[in-house]
Amino acid sequence: MEAAALAYLAAGLGAGLAAIGAGVGIGWLASSSMDGAARQPEATDDIRNLMIISAALIEGVALFALIICLLLAVTIFL
Amino acid sequence: MTARARSFGLAALLLLGLSLMGTARPAEAAEDVTLEGIVNNVILGHATDGYYLNFKPFANVELPRIMLVRTADGALGLEAYGSTEAMLRNGPYGVVSHGGDAEGHGGLVTEGEALNEAIAADEHLHSSVQRASGHVVLDLSISRHFVFGLLSMLIVFGVFIVLAQRYRRGVGRTEAPRGVLQNMMEVLVIFIRDEIAKPNIQGEKWRTFLPYLLSAFFFILVANVLGLVPYAGAATSNIAVTGVLAVMTFVIVLLYGSKDHYKELFTGPPDAPLLVRIIFVPIEIVGLVMRHLALAIRLFANMMGGALIIFSLIGLIFIMNILFGEVAAAGTVVISIGFTVFILLLKLLVAFIQAYVFTILSALFIGMAVEEHHHDESSDDGEGARTSGRLEERLDAVEEAVEPSSA
Repeated sequence: MEAAALAYLAAGLGAGLAAIGAGVGIGWLASSSMDGAARQPEATDDIRNLMIISAALIEGVALFALIICLLLAVTIFL
Repeated sequence: MTARARSFGLAALLLLGLSLMGTARPAEAAEDVTLEGIVNNVILGHATDGYYLNFKPFANVELPRIMLVRTADGALGLEAYGSTEAMLRNGPYGVVSHGGDAEGHGGLVTEGEALNEAIAADEHLHSSVQRASGHVVLDLSISRHFVFGLLSMLIVFGVFIVLAQRYRRGVGRTEAPRGVLQNMMEVLVIFIRDEIAKPNIQGEKWRTFLPYLLSAFFFILVANVLGLVPYAGAATSNIAVTGVLAVMTFVIVLLYGSKDHYKELFTGPPDAPLLVRIIFVPIEIVGLVMRHLALAIRLFANMMGGALIIFSLIGLIFIMNILFGEVAAAGTVVISIGFTVFILLLKLLVAFIQAYVFTILSALFIGMAVEEHHHDESSDDGEGARTSGRLEERLDAVEEAVEPSSA
C-alpha cells in the first residue's frame, strides 16, 4: 500500500477507536448518573452539572484523538 | 394545520437543497470537479480560516492582507494590500500551484496568464501564498475568524454597555428589569454567578473572577451562535482564538494561585513519602498545563467538528454526483438535508453547552488554584463537623425516604 492509503486507513481506524472509547466512557457516565438521579431525585441538578463537567472531560480526550485523525487525513492534500 | 405547515417546511427544505445543487454545479465546475477539489477547497475552505468572506452566489469579499516581511536584502518591512488579489498582482508574491512540485518553490505562479487563470479559478484563496524574494516573517492579515471574533466582541460590548447604563439608572436594582433583553441577560448572569462562580470558587473570592467568567461565557456564546448564521463563521472554530482564551485562564491561575496551591504543586501532597512526591510533582506540573491545553482543544474541536460535519453532509451530494450520477445525487439531497437540520439543532445545543463547559472548567481551575487550606485547627474542626452534620442529615433523609414507617 502507498503512504497516502496507509494514512487514510490510520485516520479512519483512529477515529473509530476514539469514538468507541468516548462512547463507552460517556455511556457509563450517563448510566451511573441516571441511577443516581433515580435513587435521589432531589439531587438531580447537582448530578446533571457534575455529569456535564465529566462528559466534557471525557470528550476532551476523544477530541484530542479526533484532531490527530483529522491532521492525518488532511495533510495528504497539503 | 400543523401537518400542512410541516409539509410546506419539508418542501422548502428540499427545494433549498435542489437549488443549491443547481446553482453550485456550474460555478464549481471549473475548479472542484474532483473529489480532492471538493474536500480540499469546498469543505476545508469553508470550515477553516481564510482571507475572504464568502457570500456566494452574490459576492466573494477578499479581506486586506498585512505582512511583516524580511526582504531579500535583509530589511524588515510592513506591507499592506487591499486584498489577496491585489497583493498577487502588485506585490512580489505568488500562488503555490498544485501542479508544481511538493516543496512549493518550483510551482510559484507570480505573474502573467497563469496568474490570471489561478485568480479566475479562486486558487489564490485556497492555496498558500508565498513571497517570491525574501520571506514573510509574520502574517498579520485580517482573516475571516478575526472579523467574526471582532463582531462577536462588538455585540457583547453593545449589549452589555446598554444594559450597564440601565442598571446605573436603577432599572433592575430599585425596580424590576424591563424588556426581553434585560430579563434574558439577567437570568444568564445570575446563572453564572450562582451556579458557576459561587460553588466552584472558595469563599468571597468569586467576586474577583466573576467579570472574567462572564466575559468568557458571553464572548464564546456569541461567537458560537454566529457560527450558525448563514455566511458567517464561528471564531471559536479557530485554535488561535480558543488558545488565547485558555491562556487567559492559565495566566489567571498562575497569578492568583494561593501559596498552598504552589506548595502542593512543587512539593507534592502533604504527609506523602518522598518517593510518592518524586512521582507526583512532574505529573502535577504536566497536568496543570494539559488541563488548559485541553480547554482550548475541547472548544476548538467541538466547533470545528460541527462545521466539518455539516459541510461533509452537503458535500456528500456533490461526491455522489461525481461517483454515481445525478439520480443518486438527487436521492442524497433528502438524506443530507435531513441530517444537516439535525446537526444544526445539535450545534445550537453544543454552542450553549460549550460556552457553559468552558466557563465552569475555568471556574473550577481557578477555584482549585486560589483555594487556601485551613491551617487553623479549630476552623478545620468546624468545617469537618459541619460536613458530617450535613451528611447525617442527608442520611436521615434517605432513611426516611426508604422506610417512611420507621420514623
